[in-house]
Amino acid sequence: MRRSIEMKTVHPQKKSLIDSVDSRPWATKNPFEEFKTFTFQKTDIPLDQIIQSNEIVMDRIRWGYEKLLEEEAKELVWMVQYNTIIKAYEVAEKYIKEIDYSAEDIEDFCFALENTHRVPYLIPGPAGVYISALCNYAKEEEIVLKLSELKTEINLIGFRLPKGKRLSVEGDTGDFTGIGLEGGELVVEGNAKNWTGAGMRSGKIVVKKNIGLHTGEWMMGGEIYVGGRVRGLGNIVEGRVFEREKLIYPGKVRYPNLYY
Amino acid sequence: MEEKNIKAIVEEIWPRLKKKHLYPELPMPKTGKAVDPNQEEEAQNEGVGLEMKQKQMTINLAFLSAIKEKMPEEKVIEALLDHGITHYTFCPWDFHTHLMLYAEAKKVMGDKESAKQVSNYFIDVIADTHCVKKRSTEIPELHRNLKKRKVEEVIASLYQRIWGIDLGIESSRKGEEGHEEIVRRLVRIPYLDRSKWSESIRKFARSLKPLMIAEQKEQEARGEKGKSNPQGEHDLTHYSSEEIDNGLRDYAKKTKALSEFREVVEDFSDELKEAGYGMEGGMGRGYGTPIDADVLFYMKLSENYSIPIRKVPIEKKGSLHPHSHSPWEVGSPFQDVDVWTSFGKIMPGITQIWKKKEGKGRGKMEGTPDCLIIIDSSGSMINPRKSLSYAVLGAACATNAYLRNNSKVAVYNFSDAPMGGRDILDYNDNREEIYHVLCKYFGGGTALDLEDLIPLIKGRKHLDLFIITDMKITNLEALISFLGQIQNRITAVHIGENPYAARFEKAVEKRKNIRLFTVKRKEDIPHIVLGSIREYFNPTHGSR
Repeated sequence: MRRSIEMKTVHPQKKSLIDSVDSRPWATKNPFEEFKTFTFQKTDIPLDQIIQSNEIVMDRIRWGYEKLLEEEAKELVWMVQYNTIIKAYEVAEKYIKEIDYSAEDIEDFCFALENTHRVPYLIPGPAGVYISALCNYAKEEEIVLKLSELKTEINLIGFRLPKGKRLSVEGDTGDFTGIGLEGGELVVEGNAKNWTGAGMRSGKIVVKKNIGLHTGEWMMGGEIYVGGRVRGLGNIVEGRVFEREKLIYPGKVRYPNLYY
Repeated sequence: MEEKNIKAIVEEIWPRLKKKHLYPELPMPKTGKAVDPNQEEEAQNEGVGLEMKQKQMTINLAFLSAIKEKMPEEKVIEALLDHGITHYTFCPWDFHTHLMLYAEAKKVMGDKESAKQVSNYFIDVIADTHCVKKRSTEIPELHRNLKKRKVEEVIASLYQRIWGIDLGIESSRKGEEGHEEIVRRLVRIPYLDRSKWSESIRKFARSLKPLMIAEQKEQEARGEKGKSNPQGEHDLTHYSSEEIDNGLRDYAKKTKALSEFREVVEDFSDELKEAGYGMEGGMGRGYGTPIDADVLFYMKLSENYSIPIRKVPIEKKGSLHPHSHSPWEVGSPFQDVDVWTSFGKIMPGITQIWKKKEGKGRGKMEGTPDCLIIIDSSGSMINPRKSLSYAVLGAACATNAYLRNNSKVAVYNFSDAPMGGRDILDYNDNREEIYHVLCKYFGGGTALDLEDLIPLIKGRKHLDLFIITDMKITNLEALISFLGQIQNRITAVHIGENPYAARFEKAVEKRKNIRLFTVKRKEDIPHIVLGSIREYFNPTHGSR
């Protein structure tokens, strides 16, 4: 009991002690005193705005792709058939038309596809159709996609590329490159896989390195130039195919899918 | 006289700069003549403005005098120091980040020099942009007055766009030779987002690559060297030995890819040698032999794991312990005086000394025994110099644990030992030597020559054995019988389920001194081995 009374009387003494210490010249100085006058300068620079608007555009592009997957690849399975490609393209068109984007956004989206944090599913078919639709509806007439470091080869790139558009891809492309080309010019700086230019109507495909099987299958017109080797031609209806600047179709007899 | 003035300016502005950058731990900058690798170019350019070695910044007086007509010296100094400080406080911040940025750039650029160059540009863009956004700085003014080649012009155009400040780059020139397209790409990179730097530098390098190649070709055609970076070169001289050690350790841990680590270490081999890597007897500090990047990889990676070892009773340590008092006599050693019982006096009859005895605590003293590591490097094991070998990593971690406890480690690396496929290292505490033997790969058959082991074990009562193998040993029965005769602590790790392993397991199941760990997947070795060893050597850890 006595102890508690004593303790109560301590408080006013303590306060007076602190007061007296503060008033002394040698009292401990607040180490952060100097920062009282410090004003932290944080300027908004145009970069902030650019990054913010790019993020918004990328979110919309991603959203469109996810909607396409929801509608066309519900079970995350997608069969490459004429009808499924047409239908997927129509769905892609519907979402892309609402987005204001640039050619650089397309390249960023290609790399975002490999980043599972950003895009949960990379299904090569719908992804290729979506990228093709993005290229076809881009404001720019010439689009350069620097995809050399991309681990995945994108299929169906250049699908229905219209007249007046030039799409240049740095790196390799997958199957069905430039199918259904509609007068545009598609340049692949690396290799292209099978069924390149299948069903193309007009335009030009240039593959700087090698090309796979079924090249130009049901091709209705246009030209395919290959800088390296053609592994096999498809059943070509109309059009021309060059291998290392030499015309190999029509002219030279070449059976479909001849391995050589 | 001029140098004195510059020094006075630096002394005057340095406290303000330190405050502006929230008091970084950096010494007062010096003034002097910086070493410029491209001195011949100085006639045309300003040369290097700032040199950074470890944490010491040095302002180049020649640079200041070259630029003083365009910009007041105070402002130039402030801009250079703002830039230099930001390298320490934001980007690259540490050696690990520097290595990571370089490695990412190399993936795009392909060659060492271009990768170094592009990562330097990237680091500068980040540092300057950080300064412009978060501090009041003269950096834009400095850029306006610097002479520029094509790449620098493109970067200045980039600055104009992302900072919103006119740096005097004409719009007509921006459009030159498709540079506008490059700038358009560069503008989109989130430079200030540290979490995206690895992705960002790849994009940065991808965009600048064609221009850099073109400029390189032009320079080669003209027979010119590269231009010095007026804001200072970024090399390993920025970092102290400790920072390099830590950076390599973090990089090894993050990549866990031997080839990538080797490539980066080889690219920086000259700088690493200058920094002291290049070890005596293989890879130590000092000049001479080339750096063994593979060994360095395991050294650095194993530093990320720590295994506590349970100490065992060691009968004799050879040390003396205070036992009882005895009177001090003239001529007795002073260091044994017990001041407490001597009342602080040195006087025969009063002063007492401690009488020391050895072995009073016989059998109770704890210590760490030496260890014999037996490692299988036959064809069925991973080649540690081609990809990450968890067997070597496990053995390396065990080595570190014993060496840390002042014990010695011997290594018996075997493949087809009776045919000469083995390497023996006697007990020693030279980490590099041990690692060299651990990393040796024979890739042949698997047989132990027990005659080799006997001299390593004989006469050593307190010795731990650590065996890591896939157990597909042709003379397994002989090994089992050999291990059955010794009483030492034995940790045996075998990979995969196979009849040999089952046979070994059955044979040793009743032996209390042998602990066997089975690893079904090779990839699990570091987790299982290290975790199990921890549990074995330190049982209290597992019960927590």
